[in-house]
Amino acid sequence: MLKSLRSFGLAILPQAAAIAVTMFLGFVLVAAIADEPLLAYRELLFANFDSRSNFALFINRATPIALIAVGIVFAFRAGVFNVGGEGQLYLGAMAATVVALFLSDLPGAMLLPLCLLGGILAGGIWGWIPAVLKVRLAVDEVVSTLMLNFVALLFTSYLVNHPLRDPEAYGALSRKVPESVWLPSIPGLPNASMGFVAAVILAIISWIVLFRTSWGAEVRAAGTNIRFAEAIGTPGGRRVIEAMFVAGAFAGLAGALYVLGIGHRFEQNFSPAYGLVALTVALLARVHPIGALLTSLYYALMLNGAAYMQIATDVPRSLVVLLTGLLVLFMTVRLRPPRVVG
Amino acid sequence: MEMASFIAAVLIQSTPILLAGLAAMITLRANILNVAVEGMMLVGAFVAIAVGDLTGNALIAVVSAVFAAFLVSQALAFFTLKLHADFIVAGLGINLLAAGGTLFLLERVYYNPGGLRPITFPEIWHVPDGSLSFIPILGPAFEGQSAIVLIALLAIPACHVFLYRTPTGSYLRAAGEDEHAARSAGIRVNRMKTLAVAISGVLSGLAGAQLAMDRLHFFLPEMTAGRGFIGLAATLFGNGLPSATAVASFLFGLFGAIGDRLQAFNIPAQFVLMLPYVAAVVGLGIGMWRIKMRNRPAKIEGEDKRPGA
Repeated sequence: MLKSLRSFGLAILPQAAAIAVTMFLGFVLVAAIADEPLLAYRELLFANFDSRSNFALFINRATPIALIAVGIVFAFRAGVFNVGGEGQLYLGAMAATVVALFLSDLPGAMLLPLCLLGGILAGGIWGWIPAVLKVRLAVDEVVSTLMLNFVALLFTSYLVNHPLRDPEAYGALSRKVPESVWLPSIPGLPNASMGFVAAVILAIISWIVLFRTSWGAEVRAAGTNIRFAEAIGTPGGRRVIEAMFVAGAFAGLAGALYVLGIGHRFEQNFSPAYGLVALTVALLARVHPIGALLTSLYYALMLNGAAYMQIATDVPRSLVVLLTGLLVLFMTVRLRPPRVVG
Repeated sequence: MEMASFIAAVLIQSTPILLAGLAAMITLRANILNVAVEGMMLVGAFVAIAVGDLTGNALIAVVSAVFAAFLVSQALAFFTLKLHADFIVAGLGINLLAAGGTLFLLERVYYNPGGLRPITFPEIWHVPDGSLSFIPILGPAFEGQSAIVLIALLAIPACHVFLYRTPTGSYLRAAGEDEHAARSAGIRVNRMKTLAVAISGVLSGLAGAQLAMDRLHFFLPEMTAGRGFIGLAATLFGNGLPSATAVASFLFGLFGAIGDRLQAFNIPAQFVLMLPYVAAVVGLGIGMWRIKMRNRPAKIEGEDKRPGA
């Protein structure tokens, strides 16, 4: 017991150290520019728990991050560096919106699953494309997923600005989806969408699938060494593509749940770079589904806390982007050189 | 005349991509996929406008932009080569830091998160009007282009000469191709990689300066809009060769210029803006497909499966 605790501690030590160093540097920066650095940091870290409604916002913030991050865990385990979470998220949100708006006559019990399915498929396909390009043609997935992000963002921006635009709303917003597909809130926590419960359940299922099924083992084998995986007879390339579809599907579902549970419509620029944040979360969590869920909470805390900090003090909220950058930079730092293979 | 102005538009669109592409190419030859080009460009663009605003001197602005991007590149080199951080992760970290840092400064120092728009800004040297009109078509296209466009064009042969005609260039390529062999041959691999990252920083800084200073004279948050990544795509498309990278960059620039023209025909702006990104993905796909087809007969069955690549 003590030994496993020790190995767990050693496993998360670099990540914990990266967070600690980042938070410390952030504090030095805040102390240098703000009149009340302690108040700023209190707002950043604890204002989320000041009221029930703050806490609900915090839960809502964590949901998309957690879902995309768990999806990215699948991609990473299959050896794919999926930077495309953002585009997959937007397409998922858009697909759910389109389904809900065009089939709005259907009863909610039928329409809701269709919306979710639309989001899952749209995101999944957007993950599938770079995976096929990578496996079949060796196109670098970092570049292709990044490019596809821009395509997805521009495409959804067109849809929300022209065919789907709500003429009565100010700004680029789609019409509202019918109330029959709005997700209920978590009992006892008004305004906190049930999407978070879905994220928790899916994170647990993902852990089981990745580490307790043969499909998961094959995905991980393909990610570790695809030539070896194929040499011993597992369909490595196919598993990589399937894992990327799953990754995209998770991001697409995150988008759908955002529309159905939180936004109730498609909003242009609804995501403060959730895709990249989720990538950070997945890496910080050492590519583990449960870890990703927990780390997404830390991130949601920071993202929302920054807004409270900006209101209460004179520290701009872009501090959090700065801190994220520092954290990502520190995250994979190893003071001892890694073992050289080959 | 119409042709000349179109070529001029292609040149303007291509130059930042070309510089970013060459920046990514140099590091790719040292076996580094440099995703931080985007962030270094952004830093370059910001510093160019901030320093130009402060000093009123275009040359100082360009030099500061290049130097700032160089410093960022050295931070990346330090974290990856000295502290063993993963190159792609650290590169994305640099991009976030650049985006967050510039936004933070806009909010904190300039009190305007929307951007930095100096009222007056020093003009960078442009090819004077009428000076090249004796050359048909190409002459007028080059008139009015900034000095950085010319530097970018000169950088193509310069990169070629550096990589293939100097000892340092061949050491750099050796370090990228087989680290262990290069180390056994007495090449300081880390020094070569640091050099590659430094050169890519300088070129990225130029790219950012061109983007902000040539026509616009202002800085916007995230104004690089993925051009660094398109440059990276151009490098991969061009298989790490200077000339092919340049050709790919001009192709992406061409798509950008065509996009601008299409806007006049009432096509929604989003689809026009999409063109270079779609072109990058499709282009990469076709490029890799051609490489695969070319390599196929020479390979023994079962050996053409690339390990994850």
